Amino acid sequence: MILVDPGDAPRAAAGTGGPVVVAMTGVAKRFGGVTALDGVTFEVRAGEVHALLGENGAGKSTLINILSGVITDYDGAVTVDGSPVRFAGPAAAQAAGIATIHQELDLVPALSVADNLVLGREPRTRLRTVDRRAAVRTAREHLDLLGADIDPRRPVGSLRVGEQQLVEIAKALALDARVLVMDEPTAALADGEVRRLFATIDGLRRRGVGVVYISHRMEEIEVVADRATVLRNGSVAGVVPAGRMDRRRIIAMMVGERATSLFAPAPTDADGSRGTVREPLLDVTDLVVRPRAPRPGRCEPDGISLTVRAGEIVGLAGLMGAGRTELLETLFGAGPRGRRTGTIRLDGSPYAPRHPRAALRAGVGFVPEDRRRAALVLDHPVGRSIMLTALATVTTAGFVSRKRERSAVQRTITELAIKTSSAATPVGALSGGNQQKVVFARHLLAEPRLLLLDEPTRGVDIGAKAEIYRLLRRLADDGMGILLASSELPELLGVCDRVLVLRGGRTVADLATDGCTGEDILAAAMGGATAGRDER
Amino acid sequence: MTDIRVPPPEPAVTEVPPAAGTVGLRGAAARWLRRPRSRRELVDRLFAVQSLFALLVVFVVAILASPRRDGEILFLTAGNLGNIVRAVSEIGIIAIGMTFVILLGGIDLSVGAILGLSAVGTATLLVDSGFGIVPAVAVVLVIGALFGAVQGYAVARLGIQSFIVTLAGLQVARGIARIWSGGLGIPIAYGDGPQEAPPAFELLNGSVNGVLPVPAVLFALIGAAAIVVLRTTAFARHVYAIGGNEKAARLSGVPVTRVKVAVFAVAGLLAAVAGVIHAGQLNQGSPNDGAGYELDAIAAVVIGGTSLAGGSGSMGGTLAGALLLGILNNILALNNIDANVQLLIKGLVIVLATALQKLRRGIA
Amino acid sequence: MDRRTVLALLVTGALLTTTGCTVEKPSDDAGEARACGAGKDSLIGMSQANNAEPYRQVMNNDVQTAAKEVPGFRVVVSDAAQDNSKQVADVENFLTQRINLLIISPNEAKPLTAVVKKAYDQGVPVIVLDRKVEGEAYTAFIGGDNVAIGRAAGEFYATTLLPGGGKVIEIAGLPGSTPAAERAKGFRDGIAGNPKIEIVASQPGDWLREKGQSVADALIKAHPDVSAVYAHNDPMAEGAYLAAKAAGLEQKIKFTGIDALPVPSGGIKAVEQGRLAATFQYATGGREAVELARKILIDCATDVPRATTLATTRITRDNAAEAYAKLGGL
Repeated sequence: MILVDPGDAPRAAAGTGGPVVVAMTGVAKRFGGVTALDGVTFEVRAGEVHALLGENGAGKSTLINILSGVITDYDGAVTVDGSPVRFAGPAAAQAAGIATIHQELDLVPALSVADNLVLGREPRTRLRTVDRRAAVRTAREHLDLLGADIDPRRPVGSLRVGEQQLVEIAKALALDARVLVMDEPTAALADGEVRRLFATIDGLRRRGVGVVYISHRMEEIEVVADRATVLRNGSVAGVVPAGRMDRRRIIAMMVGERATSLFAPAPTDADGSRGTVREPLLDVTDLVVRPRAPRPGRCEPDGISLTVRAGEIVGLAGLMGAGRTELLETLFGAGPRGRRTGTIRLDGSPYAPRHPRAALRAGVGFVPEDRRRAALVLDHPVGRSIMLTALATVTTAGFVSRKRERSAVQRTITELAIKTSSAATPVGALSGGNQQKVVFARHLLAEPRLLLLDEPTRGVDIGAKAEIYRLLRRLADDGMGILLASSELPELLGVCDRVLVLRGGRTVADLATDGCTGEDILAAAMGGATAGRDER
Repeated sequence: MTDIRVPPPEPAVTEVPPAAGTVGLRGAAARWLRRPRSRRELVDRLFAVQSLFALLVVFVVAILASPRRDGEILFLTAGNLGNIVRAVSEIGIIAIGMTFVILLGGIDLSVGAILGLSAVGTATLLVDSGFGIVPAVAVVLVIGALFGAVQGYAVARLGIQSFIVTLAGLQVARGIARIWSGGLGIPIAYGDGPQEAPPAFELLNGSVNGVLPVPAVLFALIGAAAIVVLRTTAFARHVYAIGGNEKAARLSGVPVTRVKVAVFAVAGLLAAVAGVIHAGQLNQGSPNDGAGYELDAIAAVVIGGTSLAGGSGSMGGTLAGALLLGILNNILALNNIDANVQLLIKGLVIVLATALQKLRRGIA
Repeated sequence: MDRRTVLALLVTGALLTTTGCTVEKPSDDAGEARACGAGKDSLIGMSQANNAEPYRQVMNNDVQTAAKEVPGFRVVVSDAAQDNSKQVADVENFLTQRINLLIISPNEAKPLTAVVKKAYDQGVPVIVLDRKVEGEAYTAFIGGDNVAIGRAAGEFYATTLLPGGGKVIEIAGLPGSTPAAERAKGFRDGIAGNPKIEIVASQPGDWLREKGQSVADALIKAHPDVSAVYAHNDPMAEGAYLAAKAAGLEQKIKFTGIDALPVPSGGIKAVEQGRLAATFQYATGGREAVELARKILIDCATDVPRATTLATTRITRDNAAEAYAKLGGL
């Protein structure tokens, strides 16, 4: 959940102060016949936070991979401190002071914070054993510089994601990084952690470190960046200086001439159907789940009551750890085993799925939050991935009819406008948005009555987001019930008819999005006046 | 949503472009002959037949390296080629089952022991218990499949790694085989009397037209069936999906437990088939039969390009891998390479084959 | 079906076609190739059951050493690594190579009977070593007599080692194996002449040194007053010696083994160095096999002994060094 208050976040005094550390000029890169970058110029000054924006596929990753030495054959020039360089690999880039923090953190979970920080250059005692005391001391120094209160002896695996990120930053600083590239650093962070991260970034800025900041979240850019470079189709669409960060303008730059209307019109505008009383499709009363083996970090339903009607999009709001994912998993039969009290009715009949197959049979679909880990096999073809759930519909006596499958797949690809060269392309080659559409397609082919969505637009570029929103509205108009968990307030307010707010596994508010503001949702999610720290 | 529906079973028949994923010989040939559009496609295309290519290379090398007598290439004699396919058939049949297990992301160490158990079972039932061929073989196959299914259940429901489950299964199967046989090989004598097996069983040791050994024919039939199953059934899709990402498969409604049980049952069943053949070829069922066969089968699967991580691989590759190992064994023996050096060479070939697959990812 | 399958089918087809088209004509040149007489080169296939056993390694050495002495003899050795199927394939490969004579030390009798018969029926003389195959389809069998060896050991106990009687522990070979049964039976025959000798325990050591050690460990604890340990082979006897040494009883108890392999880790050396009181040679028959081969291939003998039983030699400290040299110790 993005709870960034612009007035509250630390703001750099001078945006673009220091000398240019890294400059890339006329950088171009082609993959086979596809142009990924076409003459891009990009620079990072000491002590600035330079945001890099663009839809998926605009060339951000390629640019970053060149900067960090992952891609070594490209056209154009890169200079560090004015002298031309050509990195032979990531290690060379690191040696030149360019550190990259990837979305998937490069830490060893089983090792302690200190061990991770000194990995590969461990201090030694006279007996050539690792000098743990020195390692802990070094680690503590670097963590203190960031103001991070983390015990260096704890295993990294026991830290929360935000803390792990701080460790990763400390590690980069320990390597004397002068430019820090952060790829979607807030994607997995709770609100409090986001604030902490921004404070850390501000500290880096003060110390003269140049930060390249990549994010899909416009609100963050406005708060944290000194200037922004927007990429579109491999070229620079514009550079936005500090103080001119206008969301609408940036979106226009990213999307180009494409429609900028992100949210589909709510049905009130279309046919005025909102408010007409339809039969409840999903009816949950006092749902409590007591798992047999509770897992730390999970917040199982602890008093959930909600209703989703046919044709309705209901939002699920809440802070990190409020129990949104856990609720959706329970409703899909994918939660932990244990005792369950309260009632769930689907179309009036009792509904208690013991496993996802039962849920699917009952007409419930689920698009999970982490599509890479929970929905897709990246090197399997698009067609096969789409067909996984509804395979039975094209199967006779155990044999898949290629003909029927092909036409079902083609129809779906066209219907959802999935951009893929063919049904045989590996899913991993698609952009995030199109991958997500593949997951949607899989569940839509199974023709659900109720669709459960967990952060369906995470890591999805704006263009695809808009398409997904329109699709959701169309599905709802066709009579499907949709329960949508999201951390993005605009999404909840723009797409949903109602928003339910969870806190500590309970439903604490049921707000109609008409006349409701983000502040109302946040207030409910945080439980009134307390500060926006994540609660658990 | 009305527009995303499964289409009616009979869509209009139009000329189907040979898009990727198309079946049919014509499409395959057309795609193969077309100029590659990109380097990646070229690399993919070359490596798609990598295991077959390797098989061909080994075949040609074997011809060149073969000793000759009176101008005749010994490697290419009918008798020798027959020997190769017969020698390879048991490992090959086991490797087919192993391919399913490895595609699932698992491993089955028990197949060699199940082979031994099945050989003992076949011999005991035919000779001591006076069973006919059909009931004896049926009982043995059911035992093999059940044994595998139990292992599959332990893997799926108890969440124990398949390596551990089947390592235990290996011990158990050997133990049962030793107890059943009293620790001794049970010889199979043929005849109509008591303590004699029906002579028809000896057909397993024969050949079609005096050239093609019966076990090799069985291997070919099972291999062909496995290729069809892996390409066309929903079951196979589910295997690939679970091997690729089990959590995703479960959330997509794949019956994970059922598929796992079935896959291990198939592996057990095929090991039992190999055990019956083993007993027929050697006229004996010994509890120590098949020791180490699981490793040869795994080697065949890996050489065939199937990833031990699960989720990717092919049955054709496995068949090619098994034949490759058979030819390798044969040509090394024909040239009287020292037995210890043979081990070394075989180890190198396995590493090379796997390294080649890594290379693919590097180029593409 | 994609191109992978297509190619698979093509290759399989090619394989089968080649198989079908090649004409096999072993019978024609068989007579010529197998004609006997001096001055001809002869290829001898030696199919070994398991090179990992020292006894069988010594057998291979014996065959190869003896064959070097015969002009024109060339020996190729294959190792079945204890796998019956592998040994069948080994023999088939020998036949493909048109060997002139087969020496085989079978892993097991029944599974190899068919392939040995096949060779014999093709006119290849077959000499079977150590373990018999079934039926009559072989030229000659050479092997030791385990009952006789056991009896020799028993008589040594009755008259020399324990003339005054005493308690004996037996560490037997792999249960169910023929040599184990025969060595046990012969021993009992041998000690029958001295009723004061009593076998107080008999446990299998599976032919293995480590198993012999752990079994002896337990048995010596149970019977600390034991006078001697009769092991069915030398490694188990050595294992028992180690167990006794750990218990501080190695001077009190006497150990005997069987096999007497002329290798550094073998029983002869153990006797020479005083760990074993005696060992009884179980000859490999390798030299004898080559001698037979010479008779068949060079002397054109038509009548060779169908079965040769190898005599055993008792090795004690008196003759150990001499025997080691005579047997070609390494």
